[in-house]
Amino acid sequence: MSSDGHEPTAMTFELLKTAVKDGGARLGRLAFPGRRTVDTPNFFGLTSRGVIPHVTPDNVEKHLLTNGTYMALEDFIERPQQYMTRSPPVYETPSPNNKPLQSFTAMPSSIITVLGSRRLPAVAAPMGNTNQSISVFTSTGFQAITTKQYINAIQTLNPDIAIPLADLTHKTSAPTSKRALRMAERTDDWIKEWFMEMYGRNKEPSKIATFAPVLPISYSIQWEYLERLSEEHQSNPSVLSGLAVYDADLIPDISSSYQNLDTLPRLALTTPSNPHQVLRQLSLGMDIFLLPFLSTASDAGIALSFTFPPPSSESSELLPLGIDMSSPEHAISLQPLTESCTCYACTTHHRAFVQHLLCAREMLGWTLLQIHNHAVLASFFASIREALADGTFEEKARQFALRYEPEIPQGLGERPRARGYHFKSEGPGEQKRNRPAWSKFEDEKKIEDKVADLSIADEQNGTSGLGSGVDSVAETPLVPDENADAKDLEEMGFAEKAENK
Amino acid sequence: MRAGPKLFHLCVHFVRDLSCLIFGLSSSLRRMSIVQRMASNKASSAALTFELVAKCSTTRARASILTLPHGPVNLPIFMPVATQASLKGITPEQLEATGCRLCLNNTYHLGLKPGQEVLDAVGGAHKLQGWKHNLLTDSGGFQMVSLLKLAKVTEEGVRFLSPHDGSPMLLTPEHSMSLQNSIGSDIMMQLDDVLVTTHPDKARMREAMERSVRWLDRCIKAHKNPDRQNLFCIIQGGLDLEMRRECCREMVARDTPGIAIGGLSGGEAKDDFCNVVATCTELLPDLKPRYVMGIGYPEDLVVSVALGADMFDCVWPTRTARFGNAITKHGVLNMKKEQYAKDFGPIEDGCGCPCCRPIDQEGAIGVTRAFVHHNSAKETVAAHLLTIHNVWYQLHLMGGARDAIIADKFPAFVKEFFNNLYPDRKSYPSWAVNALKNVGIDLFES
Repeated sequence: MSSDGHEPTAMTFELLKTAVKDGGARLGRLAFPGRRTVDTPNFFGLTSRGVIPHVTPDNVEKHLLTNGTYMALEDFIERPQQYMTRSPPVYETPSPNNKPLQSFTAMPSSIITVLGSRRLPAVAAPMGNTNQSISVFTSTGFQAITTKQYINAIQTLNPDIAIPLADLTHKTSAPTSKRALRMAERTDDWIKEWFMEMYGRNKEPSKIATFAPVLPISYSIQWEYLERLSEEHQSNPSVLSGLAVYDADLIPDISSSYQNLDTLPRLALTTPSNPHQVLRQLSLGMDIFLLPFLSTASDAGIALSFTFPPPSSESSELLPLGIDMSSPEHAISLQPLTESCTCYACTTHHRAFVQHLLCAREMLGWTLLQIHNHAVLASFFASIREALADGTFEEKARQFALRYEPEIPQGLGERPRARGYHFKSEGPGEQKRNRPAWSKFEDEKKIEDKVADLSIADEQNGTSGLGSGVDSVAETPLVPDENADAKDLEEMGFAEKAENK
Repeated sequence: MRAGPKLFHLCVHFVRDLSCLIFGLSSSLRRMSIVQRMASNKASSAALTFELVAKCSTTRARASILTLPHGPVNLPIFMPVATQASLKGITPEQLEATGCRLCLNNTYHLGLKPGQEVLDAVGGAHKLQGWKHNLLTDSGGFQMVSLLKLAKVTEEGVRFLSPHDGSPMLLTPEHSMSLQNSIGSDIMMQLDDVLVTTHPDKARMREAMERSVRWLDRCIKAHKNPDRQNLFCIIQGGLDLEMRRECCREMVARDTPGIAIGGLSGGEAKDDFCNVVATCTELLPDLKPRYVMGIGYPEDLVVSVALGADMFDCVWPTRTARFGNAITKHGVLNMKKEQYAKDFGPIEDGCGCPCCRPIDQEGAIGVTRAFVHHNSAKETVAAHLLTIHNVWYQLHLMGGARDAIIADKFPAFVKEFFNNLYPDRKSYPSWAVNALKNVGIDLFES
């Protein structure tokens, strides 16, 4: 985890094997000096507030099997109400190797950092964007960030890869053609400014790799913008190192129209919701994926269980993409989460432990699932690369589509507590995201007294939030399950039924 | 109340004399039996060896090695609490990296989840949580009484109403042993009749003390694995020193491999707490580990070590981590405060934990206060990092005390500890000043 001492130089991307036709799955290798080399197709970890959820940075390095992480600027620039004028602390991070973002987040130096503006998936902003700014959602609410501020932030934080601003709606419905046209025009204006500020004449060219956005609108509407990307890259290859693609279906058009852009690595900001979609996008020529479904599955208590190719079997029954580890059927199972998985969770623990942790709402359950689920994806991509190398990819991908269920199971386990910056409430009548905490056998006052005894220091500091008194008592459920009757308790060996005296 | 320490002082002398008279005979008998088995600084029972390495020449502090079925641990020791077979989000591997070799599980919680049947099927709690080192379990009685409103203690056991259907249930010493046998903890605790020390009813206090002795006998009888699990007794008796003495005598006579002092940390005055600990350690045999239950504030640990206690546990360091609090030698710092938003130093300067150690060292994470501030109460990772730091701090504090005892520099260690914690001597807590004075340390003397 030590700094490598020397200033990193440029990124390299080498295409090892490409399809004959336009687009199509391909094998490549992405490298930054001093970082782990990334064989593609592959995936990067997705962070929330600079961390892979539930996984401490030491475990990211040791156990997570990911070579890169995506971070969102909106996770770092909130303005606390009492300190509205404070500048975001992240900008002032001292960094011996001039990598403030990496230093601030304690991300291991072997890991590539990608910085974009919004979380993935992003919460749609009610006020939209302007000609000079986009709306972002911080933990203290929405705020506008101008193109200029964004460029300054990128230059200050110095990630390995940066994604310039794109004018996006972040809505599920497609934009009207008028809106789509404006998206292309604004993004085109913004990229001009970006190239000027980052690599312009009379400036020391930035060493940050730019992955320019490709918008989720039709090719015919954004062709002028793409034309500009191609020309800029033609005249100076170092200004453009990759594409950040919001819609995989545009790849064939780009590939056939701009040969020079075809050699660039493609980062998927498409948020596929299952491995079938990953395979489809990969077949279109996507190289690196960001996968929100990984953490979603872990939070839902799901251990992903798919392999590439699928196991051979006579049965025609579809296989599940994941296993709900909160299910009582695993209560005494000493099996690893999935057979033959070599991740830390599977080699040192078993299903019974993860099941127990999920039922007891112990945070370690989600940590172990994150480690496992990232390992499943790492091995999925490694097998895909092998199949691409030996020419069996298409056949195996076909088997995969036939063999597995279409969606990842929902999971019945209780999720970790959701936070305000994860979502935006959609108005009154919305269901509560978090279950109310336990408070049954004691009246509130007594619980508060007890907590006061246990944590005098906390009280003195007037803390609240994560560990507000009553919460912390309920955090470790202390009363038997509300559904357990006396007979259950007796069977558990906990106590026996007594005669009423 | 100011007469307390003086009275305590007199008592100590009185007890010293008295104990010579009363215990002279029994302790020499006991020593003889130990000598037959071991050298004079070492004692063994079926599943444990206790080796006294050094004694402080001023205070009653001791350094020792306790060898348990899952390996040796150095005493004095702080034991973090992994209530439900997990230390709040950190992996067993990370816990091991803090140097921890003995942690707690709570019998009550494991009895409810995952339950005895699962524990038996899985092969115990070590196997359940993938922990290669030692485990200690409480009896389940404390949680039961303190957390269930309707619990009632009778001679048979703890009575309570099933939360679901309201039918009456009973938790007995035999149940507690059976559960702890299924858990397979290296140290198990007897079921005791726990009262808050400030309980006003003296007769009830005496009943609880005497009942705890009777329950110990039932626990010893019900304990199925004495060859691989150690059952510790628990001394009760509230704040009544005479009752504590009586309990000590009864418990010591039953010759359990280790001895706990229970019922404390329930809101009694710190002076009273110290008096009870000092009274008990005075009467306890040298060659057995002494465990003060539920103690975790750094000052309490250091003073209790000076009073002759060896083992401590508390949820406070890990709970307070989840509130954003870092324990440091200069006191508890709340990382959520605005002053840390742009503090790019380690959580504690000079700390050797994985979060704080210099970035060029093996295993260093490179965490800053600013980063912990950034994610406190927002991402669980911030709590995990503070948990690692706080556990390290507590273990390291006891390790430092141990080194000082072995070098016979413990009084200097204690003075430096208080000096770091309270820059102004005038704010030294009087209970600590008094308790330490009684064992020969004058905090105000330089």
